[in-house]
Amino acid sequence: MLKVDHVWVRRGAGFALRNISLSLFPGKTLAVVGESGAGKSTLIATILDLVKPWKGEITWAGASVQTCSPGLVMQEPRAAFNPVLSLRQSVLEPIVARNEDMPHERIKRLSDSLELSLEIFDRYPGEISIGQAQRVAILRALIAAPPLVLLDEPLSALDAVIQKHTAKLISDLQQEEGFAAMIVTHDLGYAMAYADEIAVIKSGGIEEVSTPQTFAKESKSGYSRLLMEAAMALGALEPSA
Amino acid sequence: MILSVSGLSATRSGRTILHPTSLDIEQCESIGLVGVSGSGKSTFGHMLIDDLRSKGLKVAHVPQSPEEALDPLRSMRFHWHEAERALGLDTGSTDKKTLFTALKIEDGDLRKRPWGWSRGMQQRFVIAMALISSPDLIVLDEPTSALDPVTAAATMDLLEQHREDLNTAMILITHDLGLAARRVSKLMVMHDGRIVEQASTEDILERPKTDVAKYLVAHRSWAVVPC
Ligand SMILES: Nc1ncnc2c1ncn2[C@@H]1O[C@H](COP(=O)(O)OP(=O)(O)OP(=O)(O)O)[C@@H](O)[C@H]1O
Ligand SMILES: [Mg+2]
Repeated sequence: MLKVDHVWVRRGAGFALRNISLSLFPGKTLAVVGESGAGKSTLIATILDLVKPWKGEITWAGASVQTCSPGLVMQEPRAAFNPVLSLRQSVLEPIVARNEDMPHERIKRLSDSLELSLEIFDRYPGEISIGQAQRVAILRALIAAPPLVLLDEPLSALDAVIQKHTAKLISDLQQEEGFAAMIVTHDLGYAMAYADEIAVIKSGGIEEVSTPQTFAKESKSGYSRLLMEAAMALGALEPSA
Repeated sequence: MILSVSGLSATRSGRTILHPTSLDIEQCESIGLVGVSGSGKSTFGHMLIDDLRSKGLKVAHVPQSPEEALDPLRSMRFHWHEAERALGLDTGSTDKKTLFTALKIEDGDLRKRPWGWSRGMQQRFVIAMALISSPDLIVLDEPTSALDPVTAAATMDLLEQHREDLNTAMILITHDLGLAARRVSKLMVMHDGRIVEQASTEDILERPKTDVAKYLVAHRSWAVVPC
């Protein structure tokens, strides 16, 4: 289980994260929503130990999160790849090297669901579109069946059709393999449809954590309501009759 | 003034990623460019901008990834001053405060480098840079991809206000048909490096003709849940 225990992170004179506590169990999905700049990506960086908490502790099964080699998708998809290596060299070869029994079918299953032709891997990161880079990053995050995945806006550069297929792939793999998933998203429709719990972050603190059902019906915080209204105005959520 | 481009095309590593494409953009017009990921939208945006700039027109660009516009080794203040200098303005002469407040990035620390800001804040900073000047055209490539719906709506409202004040035309590249439906009057659908369909936004959303357009429209609200 991932446990984020009363974590504070400093930024300048103030705090980027304030007293965050969360737990995430295997097989479950936690969606993290909130305003741009609220600290969602900082939370992911802190979980990965790239940012040191000022106070508090983060563990996976009682040990450091790094020990479970979590799958990761960063918000800036193209920056995640070594620009001077082909994607075959930087993505596929290390995967195969680390997992000797990696069946070719698994690579094929993931690339098919993500609508990536294998030819793409012969190119360099600068030679694919940003949505393609985001999909290669998702493939890399999920391929080795990690027990924990951290996805920072994994669908943000994808069109609706591929979004749908990608969301299904993540959810199917989770059912089969039981990983815990933390998904930062600003797509409330996606969060409602796929998450077990939704955490709302505002100014570095947690406003509320609730199931999608309670989130929709009795969301307490003012910001959650604002988000819902904005999502409805965009047609991403449907008001019930 | 009508902005015209014709016969724009692009080939990379022996593959044609943009087939010869022409377009007329009327003054103040707002056009949405949609299509599946990898269909050539950003490529078309880049070629359009290069072509119009080479003809001496002022085109502002908000690239899909703030990375493209921001040097990781330079402070945000440096970028802002560069943008002013590029327009022939004195550094520090523009009304940064109003823009930053409207975009809710007034708390961003200008001494920091881009990675000291969140990606959504970087995206809005790049939008602010595009709004310093009064360009003939503004090309926005997925401008709200890192923004929550509340901030996205406020940002698009500000852009619209600005465009109205300055009579600027806009090309909005987006995968979000909900956003396009609210913000542009005309839609172009791209597929495999070609514009395969163009019509009023309403026509495309109500009566898509090509398979791609039908496909995109049908999946538009794939995650909509009643609540
Ligand atoms: N240097 C290159 N060499 C080969 N192919 C390239 C190169 N640059 C881009 N491509 C290909 O050209 C196509 C169009 O890319 P482009 O970035 O314009 O797509 P897009 O519609 O903007 O996609 P997205 O929605 O994912 O951002 C993609 O299939 C991409 O893989
Ligand atoms: Mg693009």
